[in-house]
Amino acid sequence: MSDAITLDAVSKVYGKGRGAVAALREVTVRLPGGGFTAVMGPSGSGKSTFLHCAAGLDRPTAGTVRLGGTDLSGLSETKLTELRRERAGFVFQSFNLISSLTVEQNVTLPLRLAGRRADAGKLAALIRRVGLQERTGHRPGQLSGGQQQRVAVARALVSEPDVVFADEPTGALDTMTAREVLTLLRQTVDELGQTIVMVTHDPVAASYADEVLFLADGRVADTMSGPTAAKVADRMIRLGAWNR
Amino acid sequence: MMLGLALTTLRHRRAGFVGAFVALFCAAALVCGCGTLLVTGLTGAVRPERYAAAPIVVTGDPEVHVLVDKGKGKTKEKAKPNAGRAWVPADLAERIAALPSVERVATEVTFPALLPGGADSGSWGHGWESAPLAGLTLAAGRAPAAPDEVVVDAGTAARAHLSPGSGTAVRTPSGTLPVRVVGVTAQGFDSQSAVFFGTDRARQLAGHQGLVSAVGVFPAAPSAAADVRALLAGASAGPAAVVRTGEDRGRVEFPDAANAQVRLVSMGAVLGGTALLVALLIVVGTFGLSIQQRQREIAVLRAVAATGRQVRKMIGGEALLVGLAAGALGAVAGLPLGGWLHGRFVALGVIPANLPAVLSPFPALVAAAATLLAGWAAARISARRTAAVKPVEALGEAELKPPQLGAARIAFGVLAAAGAVVLTALLTVLHADQSSTPVCFLAVLLWCTAFALLGPVLARVGTAVLGLPMRASRVGGHLAFHNLRAGAHRLASVVTPLTLLIAMACAILFSQTTTDRAAAAQRERGNAADFVVGPRVPASAAEAVAAVPGVRTVTRVLHTQVRDGLTRRSVQGVSPERLTDTLDLGVTAGDLGRLAEGTAAAADGLGYRLGQHVRLTLADGTAAEVTVVALYSRGLGFGDLTLAHGLVAAHVDVPLDDELLVRGVDLSRPALAAALHGSPGSGCSTTLRRRLRRTGPARRSATSCWG
Repeated sequence: MSDAITLDAVSKVYGKGRGAVAALREVTVRLPGGGFTAVMGPSGSGKSTFLHCAAGLDRPTAGTVRLGGTDLSGLSETKLTELRRERAGFVFQSFNLISSLTVEQNVTLPLRLAGRRADAGKLAALIRRVGLQERTGHRPGQLSGGQQQRVAVARALVSEPDVVFADEPTGALDTMTAREVLTLLRQTVDELGQTIVMVTHDPVAASYADEVLFLADGRVADTMSGPTAAKVADRMIRLGAWNR
Repeated sequence: MMLGLALTTLRHRRAGFVGAFVALFCAAALVCGCGTLLVTGLTGAVRPERYAAAPIVVTGDPEVHVLVDKGKGKTKEKAKPNAGRAWVPADLAERIAALPSVERVATEVTFPALLPGGADSGSWGHGWESAPLAGLTLAAGRAPAAPDEVVVDAGTAARAHLSPGSGTAVRTPSGTLPVRVVGVTAQGFDSQSAVFFGTDRARQLAGHQGLVSAVGVFPAAPSAAADVRALLAGASAGPAAVVRTGEDRGRVEFPDAANAQVRLVSMGAVLGGTALLVALLIVVGTFGLSIQQRQREIAVLRAVAATGRQVRKMIGGEALLVGLAAGALGAVAGLPLGGWLHGRFVALGVIPANLPAVLSPFPALVAAAATLLAGWAAARISARRTAAVKPVEALGEAELKPPQLGAARIAFGVLAAAGAVVLTALLTVLHADQSSTPVCFLAVLLWCTAFALLGPVLARVGTAVLGLPMRASRVGGHLAFHNLRAGAHRLASVVTPLTLLIAMACAILFSQTTTDRAAAAQRERGNAADFVVGPRVPASAAEAVAAVPGVRTVTRVLHTQVRDGLTRRSVQGVSPERLTDTLDLGVTAGDLGRLAEGTAAAADGLGYRLGQHVRLTLADGTAAEVTVVALYSRGLGFGDLTLAHGLVAAHVDVPLDDELLVRGVDLSRPALAAALHGSPGSGCSTTLRRRLRRTGPARRSATSCWG
């Protein structure tokens, strides 16, 4: 399968002059399609910046990013938005649902923004998959945290994107609901062949992925295939400055 | 699509849109109400009262006509109403009566006839021959025969408690006359009092030898109006006459109504426009606030898949929906509001009661459309900021910071403030009303613009200053201060529209009162008289005062308006003898001593120069040519032009003096009061006021009413 995302010597610097902070330093990464990749690292390691640049939410200072074969560097803000609409889905730590819309309206929002109509059969199947068929008419305020995050997952999947980007998707959940959401993400990879990139600092969450990418001080420090929570945690302790 | 999203948001966040809704609702209601006043001013017709029963009324031409050169050899005739009635020759009535399609005619003369305790204006004397014009019949008593016999209309009789057999006094230009009421009509007038003398006596009192103020025509055939027009068109030379039928009759009966209509139009436009502007600013503020509060939600939309355009469209859509609902409801509420405003203006005497409000759907439609547009524009203005919302911000948990003020915005703000300072400085040296009014409003506009652009900066400065006492409270005040400082942008979006609202309201309300005060101050400073008598003083009273021992100068002052071309000029007619004894107009050039019937003095700043020949149209349409012999600085207080009393007095509707300025040696109040009492059967409401000369403008002695 071809690469879903490639980053080629991507750097990101915030600020200018002496106050400049490099969040990413010449990161080169290929993420294969149909895989579940976890990006791990201590605070300030640049993992959020990595996600933003890979998803086209932010522009790198140098280097090129390809999402599904398209070079993002030359695109205007509107073109970038349209590309995200077609090729990327997002799951955030704080759910970020629109409080005035119902579950079903939240799920179909990316399609509505793209001016497309939802396929009734596919939508029903998707909502069944995330287990919210009883709650399609509810508003986010009437749902538990886990349920809200499942709505967000369905919203990320509805446009059948090339990649789903998840930024600490379990950060605001207790361990029980976190496991539900991670299982749901794992299932979409296994059953639908979905590509997922997930930023997390939780070794247990990372253990659901096929591959773990360790970032430290803006560089890729290591990769790990077939992770377990214990192996990930162990590797984390020896990252970056802690290693010296 | 985005509209559907907007609708859902509206339903869910009702509270956030209440502010915008209320502002737009009020704006729509006010615009519609003011629009109703405007339409009334533009298309409304004054109902005739005294001419109500005469289908056709012939009067002198109440307008001045000027050919305006429009360039390229084209000219256009423009007409403007004169301040008073134009009279026609009495023999015209006989010629009209001779037409085969005319059954009969009735003539009318009009002169002020004030009753004791009655209104200062709107009380007119006529000859009993004009009773058929209003279809008047006697309810009691008989027609007037002797010179001192009068008939009054039912309304006046009720107001003044008059009945056949009672005696009273009527103040006319010929003096205050004792009269006996011999009859009361069955009908009454709403907007005026009518006192009917015998026909010959009335013509004598009205002056205007051989002229009548109106000829009412009762047709025998439908062609009468056309026949009368043809007759007038054939009548060469002599003053022009016009034929009025239907609602147009009201306009010749009430020459003032044209002014009232102009007032309505300007008031309606100013009030409605201001309401709309203020609503626009408030909606910009409330939408800005709501967008700030929803910044995360908007960022999510941007991250999920919405383009900046779609977000702006959504916010515009919300505004459209709010504007539509508020505009439609407000416009409907505005119709009764227009009626109510009209009623208040009538009650205040700004417009006559017989100018009924014209209810038309246009103000409501315009109000709804304007509100919709204003709301949408306001939302688009506040939605501009959403372009600055980065989708990345949705992902972070950090506090969302508002965008910094753009350098361009600050630069323009400083520029506007500088311009405002310059104009304000300029205003302190400008003294002519004509030049300062536009500068004044421009200065207000610039100040407002500067405040709007620099709002957040000013809010921060204001918070810093006001925060000092607030920090005295160690916990509450301290927290409030820091919260305010951090939220300067939020504070600004509330403060800015409030500032503009207050500035606009003050500019509109106080520019008039400030001008009035300045005019009053000029009048006070330029008044050198020992005593002032007024208002509505007949000529006989002026003679009586002049005969009091010690009186050196009595200056008669009569205010009127003339037209120079189409331009309206306020005029004071003064008796020129020893004028400098009583009036100091602040002469800057020429000699006021040369003021006579063929000369004029003009205020500075109007473009008049010494020696210039000026063709004027007097209040009744009579042409006059005068030579400018003096220029003066106190035009605000004393009028654009000063003419000789003798020139204007014969051509105004109310030839009663507004003031007598008395100057002399060792004058005493009892002596003057006795002279005024001496005029036979004197009426009330004329006051004698002593001035303490050269002791500052503000001091006034007691005012006494006599009679």
